[in-house]
Amino acid sequence: MVESEAAVRVLIGKVGFDPHDRGILVLSQGLRNAGMEVIFVGKFLTAEEVVAAAIQESVDVIALSDHCGVMRLIAKDILAELERHGATDICVVAGGIIPEEDKPALESMGVTGNYGMGTPMEEIVSHIVERVNRRAKA
Amino acid sequence: MDHDSVSYDRDFGRLVRDKTQSNIPVKSVYGPADLDGLDYDRDLGNPGEAPFTRGIYPEMYRRNLWLKSLIVCYATPEETNRAFKKYIAAGQTGLRVLTDTSTLSGVDPDHPLARYDIMCNGNPTFALTEYETMLDGIALEGIDLESANSTPSGSFFTYVFLVALMEKRGGDISQLRGTNINDPIHAAIVYGTPEFPPALARRVNLDLIEFGIRNTPRWHPCTPCGYDMRDAGLTSPQEMAFVIANALQYYGDAIKERRLRFDDFRPMVFSMSAESDFFETIAKFRATRRLWARMARERLGATTSRNMACRIGIRTAGNSIYPQKPLNNTARVTLQVLAAVLGGVQAIDPSGIDETFGLPSEESRIFELDLQHIIAHEGNVPLTADPLGGSYYVEWLTTRLETEATKLLDEIDRLGGMWKCLESGWLRQQFDRTTTEVQGEISEGKRLIVGANAFRGADGAISRAIVGGAYKVPPDEKRFGAIDRVRKLRQTRDQDAVTRCLRDLADAVREQRNVLRPAIEATKAYATLGEMVGTIRMAHGLSFDPYKRIAAPEFLEHVA
Repeated sequence: MVESEAAVRVLIGKVGFDPHDRGILVLSQGLRNAGMEVIFVGKFLTAEEVVAAAIQESVDVIALSDHCGVMRLIAKDILAELERHGATDICVVAGGIIPEEDKPALESMGVTGNYGMGTPMEEIVSHIVERVNRRAKA
Repeated sequence: MDHDSVSYDRDFGRLVRDKTQSNIPVKSVYGPADLDGLDYDRDLGNPGEAPFTRGIYPEMYRRNLWLKSLIVCYATPEETNRAFKKYIAAGQTGLRVLTDTSTLSGVDPDHPLARYDIMCNGNPTFALTEYETMLDGIALEGIDLESANSTPSGSFFTYVFLVALMEKRGGDISQLRGTNINDPIHAAIVYGTPEFPPALARRVNLDLIEFGIRNTPRWHPCTPCGYDMRDAGLTSPQEMAFVIANALQYYGDAIKERRLRFDDFRPMVFSMSAESDFFETIAKFRATRRLWARMARERLGATTSRNMACRIGIRTAGNSIYPQKPLNNTARVTLQVLAAVLGGVQAIDPSGIDETFGLPSEESRIFELDLQHIIAHEGNVPLTADPLGGSYYVEWLTTRLETEATKLLDEIDRLGGMWKCLESGWLRQQFDRTTTEVQGEISEGKRLIVGANAFRGADGAISRAIVGGAYKVPPDEKRFGAIDRVRKLRQTRDQDAVTRCLRDLADAVREQRNVLRPAIEATKAYATLGEMVGTIRMAHGLSFDPYKRIAAPEFLEHVA
């Protein structure tokens, strides 16, 4: 489990106009059930707004969701914004409809998970815990 | 030395449920006693007779085969046009249009938030130019057109663009035929786009109903959408109750406020979902028809049998399409389409087996058409009306679904109708409760999804081909080309004409005139969708940009 005492803090939000939010609603519930603190910022946001909220809320993780096939661009903008604010210690994970051929690029950018529909919640929870622990050790 | 061994379980794969997908408890057998009180003439009727439980036409599919209606939407209007022509040649009979996600949200491609979604899930139909290209060479008279755009601005502008295109071509708009979702309550829950807030959305919804009924008598200007709500997490009784309650709200308001008579309207069309729960899906369509016949008579004063009938157009459940072992999605779509045919629906739009990886590939779309041809011509399923009518289980389940939905309708009535249920948060709670319950059952293994939480396994060559074949969003450079296109249009059009038309649109909003005609004229002058949404908003006292990130263009400052 998490090595620190404090609960993992996860910001969940969507960049752009993709309206599909069942995934982030289910994820929020699942992460809360697993004892994490969820900051749910909703949809129709820019990368700048998501990162600003993440920094203000001192989160460990940003969880992104997209069903339009453009996670690569969203991730690129989010990472650039984290870099600009010197906040690259925040982990970024993703899910939704992510083109198979984009997954290696996302992984190498440091955006992990990249889960599709039907992924068991436990798998997502343990992935987030593992990422946060790996960061704590680094 | 290790030997491979396998533990044999004769009961492997045993049933884990004794309830339907919507958690209705099911007995292991049904008989005559379960149909006590069911009266053939009153509760079923022959096909083509009220209450239409058995279908809306006497000979059903012998005379009126369902429309094979696919959403066709690729990144550019040119690709979409080519695809329409190809699918029409392969048997598509209902043309469903869908824009990209940013246009659906009520803005033009050069909006700062649009960079992520331009050309995703459709093409950016920001102006009439795009419709001209998208529907080039396709005659609009006599074909069935459907708008899958279901945000408040999306529904409104699909109709506006189609009418404008027909008039521009010199056509007769009374021949415009098809359906428009125009269901702002479902849109507020499912999409949540802010371009037309409730008071404005309500007004635009009624303007469209009124204009549509008076000017395009073969067009259904409001077809409440249960599909999106169901896909976002509802049960069958909730889906039935909410589409019917929304219809009662919109049509009830139109009758009261626009001096229309319900008997002047076209028969109701509901957009619904076909799920994998086979018998529940069949019973749902039967129960919806029976319940609507009663509601149309009791609540809207329908006096003709024609107006107690409802047509049902379905999309198969997108949320049942899984990325794990995707070949299995062919089985899911087949099951769902078969249920829709046995349930007697009028239009079918199957999911792509690959749509969890991207927009469906052309081959996947052709499969969806062929699947329907196989059910019709090899399966002989549509030869006779309502083949499951009289089945103890199906009749019991039909009545049970109707009873559950009626309870919800009564509650909605007590709460003051659907607009009130939206405002109070009651509607949102209905979703949250069901979604949480279903997710819990999936996690606990009480609901098995093959490949996802049960019967898992590796992908093989066929699955990999399905994954790889899905339509790819174009590279960013190409997507951003739409930004140049909209800017070029603004520079080359007759700006004075646009300004004049938008002033009339703004005046119509302020003077409580119907906004449809001014919007159609502005469209013919090549005003963009984002400009028209902004004009309507400003004249209603709101900011130009629904997302509050850009200012109004200068020329609108003294107009709206």
